[in-house]
Amino acid sequence: MSQHRAFTGGEAVVRANGATVGQVINDLEANYPGLGSALRAGSSAGIGGEIHAEPEYLKVASDTEIYFLAPVVGG
Amino acid sequence: MTATENPTNYKWIGTRPIRHDGFDKVVGKARFAADLNLPGQLHGSIVRSPHAHAKVVSIDTSAAEAMPGVKAVVTGDDFPALDPTHPNFDTAVNCMARGEVFYNGHAIAAVTATTREEAKAAAAAIEVEYELLPAILSIADSMAEGAPLANSNNYTRFVPPGDPSNLATVTNLDRGDVDQAMADADVVVEMGFDCAHVHQGYIEPHACVVDSGDGKANVWCSSQGHFRVRSMTADVLGVENSKVKVTPAEIGGGFGGKTTIYLEPIAAKLSEKSGRPVKLVMSREEVLRASGPAPSAELRIKVGATNDGELTAIDGWMAYGVGAFGDMAGLIGAMSVASYKFPNLRMETYTALTNTPKSAAYRAPSAPHAAWAIESVVDEIASELGMDPIDLRLKNAAVEGDLTAMGMPHPKVGLVECLEAMKASGHYQSEPVEGASRGMAVGFWFNIGEESSATVNLNEDGTANVITGSPDIGGSRASMALMAAETLGIDVYSITPIVADTESVGFTDVTEGSRATFATGKAVVEACEDLIGQLKARAATIMGVEVDEVAWVDGAAVSPGHGGGESGEPLTLAQITAQAKRTGGPLTATASLNAAGAGPSFAVHCADLKVDEETGETEIVRYTAVQDAGTAIHPSYVEGQMQGGSVQGIGWALNEEYIYDANGAMENASFLDYRIPVASDLPLIETIIVEVPNPAHPYGVRGVGETGIVPPMATIGNAIKAATGVRMTSLPMSPPKVLKKLNER
Repeated sequence: MSQHRAFTGGEAVVRANGATVGQVINDLEANYPGLGSALRAGSSAGIGGEIHAEPEYLKVASDTEIYFLAPVVGG
Repeated sequence: MTATENPTNYKWIGTRPIRHDGFDKVVGKARFAADLNLPGQLHGSIVRSPHAHAKVVSIDTSAAEAMPGVKAVVTGDDFPALDPTHPNFDTAVNCMARGEVFYNGHAIAAVTATTREEAKAAAAAIEVEYELLPAILSIADSMAEGAPLANSNNYTRFVPPGDPSNLATVTNLDRGDVDQAMADADVVVEMGFDCAHVHQGYIEPHACVVDSGDGKANVWCSSQGHFRVRSMTADVLGVENSKVKVTPAEIGGGFGGKTTIYLEPIAAKLSEKSGRPVKLVMSREEVLRASGPAPSAELRIKVGATNDGELTAIDGWMAYGVGAFGDMAGLIGAMSVASYKFPNLRMETYTALTNTPKSAAYRAPSAPHAAWAIESVVDEIASELGMDPIDLRLKNAAVEGDLTAMGMPHPKVGLVECLEAMKASGHYQSEPVEGASRGMAVGFWFNIGEESSATVNLNEDGTANVITGSPDIGGSRASMALMAAETLGIDVYSITPIVADTESVGFTDVTEGSRATFATGKAVVEACEDLIGQLKARAATIMGVEVDEVAWVDGAAVSPGHGGGESGEPLTLAQITAQAKRTGGPLTATASLNAAGAGPSFAVHCADLKVDEETGETEIVRYTAVQDAGTAIHPSYVEGQMQGGSVQGIGWALNEEYIYDANGAMENASFLDYRIPVASDLPLIETIIVEVPNPAHPYGVRGVGETGIVPPMATIGNAIKAATGVRMTSLPMSPPKVLKKLNER
């Protein structure tokens, strides 16, 4: 989400390491302080066209693109 | 009708059995929340703020407490103070004000008494002293530089910590070079739009009965998700979830408005203090003044295109007014821009706080506002280029792999199929009747998955109970039964679908995001598949063969060369369950999951209408809705959702709006003055179901409950433009507004 660019110096796409989404978030937090907390405060992850809620332990392969999105709600 | 039949040859899915809950509802046996009465039950009444924003200086309940029949009074002081960072802090404050009221209608105290009349009289005797604060009543006022705060507890979310703000979210989505693309475009159209607050308009008011007598709050209520009622109520009361049990009543409409709570903690606290069960039922006026409308919005959309109809860029500014408590309306609105390829995109969106009722979800929340503006501008582009509006959209329609505004590629979607189905429809292929003009528009909604559980118990006689935690808000009982029947291979009427309370079935998320048939249905299918494994094992025992020699075919165990029973015929499910005790005991299975892969849904609507140029009144003479359902489990229910969404969108387009006075009091808080469409206002809403199966569901289901409300406003606005030459830019397009525009021509 664009709000997260406040933590990345304006970068919309950044690289991070981890075997799970949670590990990726931890790596993002280490490199961009505050970003991990912001992601855990409210976001879902779009991976391969599917939106995952609470994706902390979801396994990801190398070179996976993760789209951090608002936690999508509905009516 | 169904446009593109699913090629799979299902026995039950796609059929239209009589709904399992139908008889009870037709004869009046179904029990809604207000129908329940418990021994010794009291009645409650709530005191509501007459001011849009004020400090509460004092509350004097002494006179009320001395009145006949009064058993208990509660105020904000009776509830624990949650940390402002708690996820349900806003919900708690919205249920009962704590020292400050944030909108006209905000609950400030409550009374319970022997009769409703006594409770009302006592509520009227509670004296509250207020100190008025500046009230923010519009998005423009909220976003003005130096504006007073609508709620000093609000901070902008997802950004580094800052000062309190009237903005709950600020979102910028972008790709490509929008400025260059606009400069290069052959056609550029830019227009501004606004939308008033509208209500979900469910017929059944919020209601609950709570008995806190045994140290646990036993709640009976109407909601879209009783597990969420449990967790929210527990948080507001400051107790563990296990201290709240919620039993779902039938629900008389929700549409997103019953995904949150208003009454349950108040009734629980009144019950705790009085020692008696307490019933609370909102009046219609309370529903409109104090339960969630959809946000208002201000929008500005600019689209660039080439002469051959390629949409090259979109530049949007959207602000949503959500009441005095933050949510993510603006962010979701930005994310809902997903119908067209748009190689260059810039969306700037805001969620702005106002001192109006706290907004709640309403079918595809935030998407209708965005689609109203974007589809109106796209229609102007088609008009300027002299292109058929469907052809323009087909040329730019998003397909699998195209990026949504949020940057993520679409999975498999069916927009092209929906557009083609509309183009081929009898409606679109025929001319409008004399005096009528035509408009069409597209709508998109994500849909979501989330957590669901299901338990399936097979009975000795071969029938099955399918137990889930998803309230039946739109046909889920019948849909669950159909998926179970298809999977097990038994008659749909031999299945009893049950919606169980929070202590009788596994956790199930609230029904929102059109998720029940997708996610809970997936759990039902998984439980049935588990049972098939068990049935095959039992059959193997009976037949005297290895389990891998047994297949499950059309509701029976088959083992070529062996057979079962004395006749050697396949063993039916009923024959196996009849011998359950001899073969290992009851047959039951449970599945729980956190479902990903909810397939997005697109819809295309078309309206023919007439405008009375003397009065400004619009008459819709023909209306068709096309929607991708993935697979229509029960087509009648799918059509009902499409028709319901269309009708609510038509009301939003033509009549519905919150009208506030200068102090923020709603002036039309009744169904007499808040005009929703009734049957005599409408033609039959024709439906065409498109089926592009969702690969992430065993039967291809996409949610269908929400998308239908997204296209109607632009569909009607585009038809009014065709009829009059006037582009309406303010919702609702009510007769006075249309007449004013006509007179300005």
